[in-house]
Amino acid sequence: MRKAGLLTTAAMALALSAGLAQAEELHVLNWQGYGTDEAWAVEAFEAATGVTVVHDYFNSEQEMLTKLRTSPGAYDVILVNSAFTQQAADEGLIQPIDTARLTNFAALSPGLRDAPDLAYDGQVYGVAWTWGLTSIAYDTTEVDPGTSINILWDPQYAGNVGLRDDSVENVAIAAIATGQNMNDPADMDLIRQKLRELKPQIRTYWSSEDEWNKEFSADSFDVSVYWSGSASRSATAFNLPVGFFIPDEGAIAWLDGLSIATDAPNLDAAYAFIDYMDSADFYVRWDGEAGAPASANPSAMDMLPDTAFNKVVLSKPGATDHLQFMAPLSDEKREEFLEIWDETKAYFAE
Amino acid sequence: MAQPWEGEGMSRHLVPRLADGMGRVFLALILVFLYVPIAVLALMGFNESVHYALPFEFSTKWYEALASNERLLTASFNSVWIALANTVVATVIGTMAAFALGRFRFRGRTVMQLLLFPPITIPWLIIGTAMLVFFFWTGIGRGLHAMLLGHIALSLPYVIIVIGARMASFGPELEEAAASLGATPLQAFWRVSIPVLMPGIVAAALFAFAVSFDQFVISYFLAPPGISVLPVEIFSAIRKGFTPEVNAISTLVIFVSMGIMLAFARLSKFGGER
Amino acid sequence: MRAETRRRWAIAGLTGPAYLWLTLTIFLPLSAMLWFSFQKKGPFGRHESEFTLKHYEAFFNKAYMQDLTWRSLEMGLQVTGICLLLGFPAAYVLAKRIRGRWREALFLLVVLPFWSNALVRIFSWTVVLRPGGVLDGAVQFVWPGAPSIDLADSWSAVIIGLVHSYLPYMILTCYLSLQAIDDSLIEAARSLGASAMTILWRIVLPLAIPGLAAGAVLIFVPVIGSFFEPKLLGGTQGVVIGTVIEEQFTVVSNWPLGGALSFILLAIVLLVLAVSYPFLKDRMRTT
Repeated sequence: MRKAGLLTTAAMALALSAGLAQAEELHVLNWQGYGTDEAWAVEAFEAATGVTVVHDYFNSEQEMLTKLRTSPGAYDVILVNSAFTQQAADEGLIQPIDTARLTNFAALSPGLRDAPDLAYDGQVYGVAWTWGLTSIAYDTTEVDPGTSINILWDPQYAGNVGLRDDSVENVAIAAIATGQNMNDPADMDLIRQKLRELKPQIRTYWSSEDEWNKEFSADSFDVSVYWSGSASRSATAFNLPVGFFIPDEGAIAWLDGLSIATDAPNLDAAYAFIDYMDSADFYVRWDGEAGAPASANPSAMDMLPDTAFNKVVLSKPGATDHLQFMAPLSDEKREEFLEIWDETKAYFAE
Repeated sequence: MAQPWEGEGMSRHLVPRLADGMGRVFLALILVFLYVPIAVLALMGFNESVHYALPFEFSTKWYEALASNERLLTASFNSVWIALANTVVATVIGTMAAFALGRFRFRGRTVMQLLLFPPITIPWLIIGTAMLVFFFWTGIGRGLHAMLLGHIALSLPYVIIVIGARMASFGPELEEAAASLGATPLQAFWRVSIPVLMPGIVAAALFAFAVSFDQFVISYFLAPPGISVLPVEIFSAIRKGFTPEVNAISTLVIFVSMGIMLAFARLSKFGGER
Repeated sequence: MRAETRRRWAIAGLTGPAYLWLTLTIFLPLSAMLWFSFQKKGPFGRHESEFTLKHYEAFFNKAYMQDLTWRSLEMGLQVTGICLLLGFPAAYVLAKRIRGRWREALFLLVVLPFWSNALVRIFSWTVVLRPGGVLDGAVQFVWPGAPSIDLADSWSAVIIGLVHSYLPYMILTCYLSLQAIDDSLIEAARSLGASAMTILWRIVLPLAIPGLAAGAVLIFVPVIGSFFEPKLLGGTQGVVIGTVIEEQFTVVSNWPLGGALSFILLAIVLLVLAVSYPFLKDRMRTT
């Protein structure tokens, strides 16, 4: 591991010494607390390259897009979820990736690395970085989960279920529960109905990992929809009794990529940084110390201890059989999902 | 103007005395209500649990963590400076505008009063987004100047409405009296109107400060990458892990503000001259 | 210079800075937003400008939007009403019954909660109101075995949180008006035999109307558009039109709809004002 670390550092330094003379800045736009701003990682990168990393954050993908649109030349590296990569590329907000400049690119899982959603017009626009699941989390001290997504609808847990306040996610859950394609459900009325049936179940909504942790600690709900990376963090970093499983019917999967903004001021540093983010030794330390989603780098995943949360969840037989990856959605679709969800929420509040 | 029947020997009847006592108890209860979450906020800054779980266990670890949390500390200082700048500008130009709206009758006065409503009705999120886009188009862009522009704009309606209320309670007689005694309009304004309006001006300044200090939507959209203010830090920290360090800084802010306010109170009699 | 011209200059000079500022930073951007609200799609991306009323129609066609707007209005009325009932007497006591240093100190105390960060403060309410929280603990302490208090994630929690945040506005604005009332008026009425009720109804209240109205406006108007207090405190009950508007900007890129809903909200506010203004004007008095 030391050797890999040194190698990565050397690679970064080499990559950069070609282009840089003095200390510079790299501007990163990401969710707060999502890997790129880990203090030790930023320090390691600065030590190796002499480039200071400056972060700006967003709280929703729409905000990410708005910031990109109104701040040209302000950012270098951006986290763009694969459901949004093509939209960002189409709007000219991000630039094509020269994959030859990334030493770790070839080694990434082909399924993720070459994901069609990360490409636009024949070129790669997003470097696969992390992926994860949105599935069912539960209180291990109180719940015996079974294997079905219908646990959310189980009257045994009435008033004890937490849902994320997110239209796309909830329509997807209802789609999976009714056996449909979550990115293009055929029967929206069935979804409406399925969602309405949740009325007696829901205790409250959560909208961020932190809110989830606080509600869960306060015993607000015992069963909820949650993200794998976050569940890993809640269990390991916060010692909460969180269990996580992938239902037979399937679960939502998502893929996050790192992109480079058009007019990025510091291209060399951007490539070096992305390379570092996709490196095994960054990932292993990240998951070990803070908890992370799954890496797109298979050697990084292999290097995790066998007890690592993600490893345990993903290595269950048949775990990944029924995963549906979140795909780009048209504006109209998103608006339709939002309307269904808003109607449902209004119904829940009656 | 203290009247002879005020002071300790004020009430000669039992019922007014009782009413007085009840009045004070009521005010005390209101204050208790106002301070319950503040007290909880402060206490949680000293609680061991990172998840705000009870029972309470004393710990200063969050304050220690805060001392080395440069990001939060810098953000807090930024918030204070911006809020101070905002307060000064908004109070000055707001008072001027409120005075004109209150004292003069002119065409368009009602429209101008109505125009104070959009900034406070329309959710700040909309205004923030609109500002961001508009500033982008007009080249103003994001930055400290943009943020200040936004904060002052949001404070102005509060300042104008509050001072307007104070003015409506005082007719123009005092100024007219001053004028009839030979004072110029400027003198009347400075030596009669301002002192009478002072409680209103102070209240307006307090609102302006609070609006700016707690403003996260506008700050969030218009702040340049790298500069942060406290509410944005707190709001963004919700994703990551809103730890009691945030309580610690909030408590500190309250105490520092209390200190500033008390100092200010000593310097100006803003309880009102009567 | 003639008096009339001087007067005009004075008005322009006094209102100029503030209103120019507001124009540049709020009215112009909002006008742009108003224009967007009549467009099919928002300002980004490649598409032609297309005029449409569909976003405004959406409000009239979709029952849930009207329901949620009603909820918001109800929220505004409840919060404003409670703030009036609690704030006015508190302001009266502060303005008329407390003197000197105490008054200043209490005035400051009322204002101080403004300086607490809203998010942290609202979150503190959840700590107070949830089962096992501070309120529950206090009740258990006084009366062990009482049913557990669970006010979290409820409409009541939203109202409590909002009243708490906005009460100081009412207390302050009422204070400003009440403090201006000459005590000799009250004393004179009393010595003429007027009852406390009469004094309140016919002297104090009319003189206090500017403060009451200002307070009501500063509370009602922002409350109906609020979204994060309902979200954090209301659980499934915390759905209001404010949250729908917010989602148009954070979940989808439907700025036109968000803008349209905001302007409808604004229209409702102006309507309420138009209706109540004549009523208030009649009853108002100044010293």
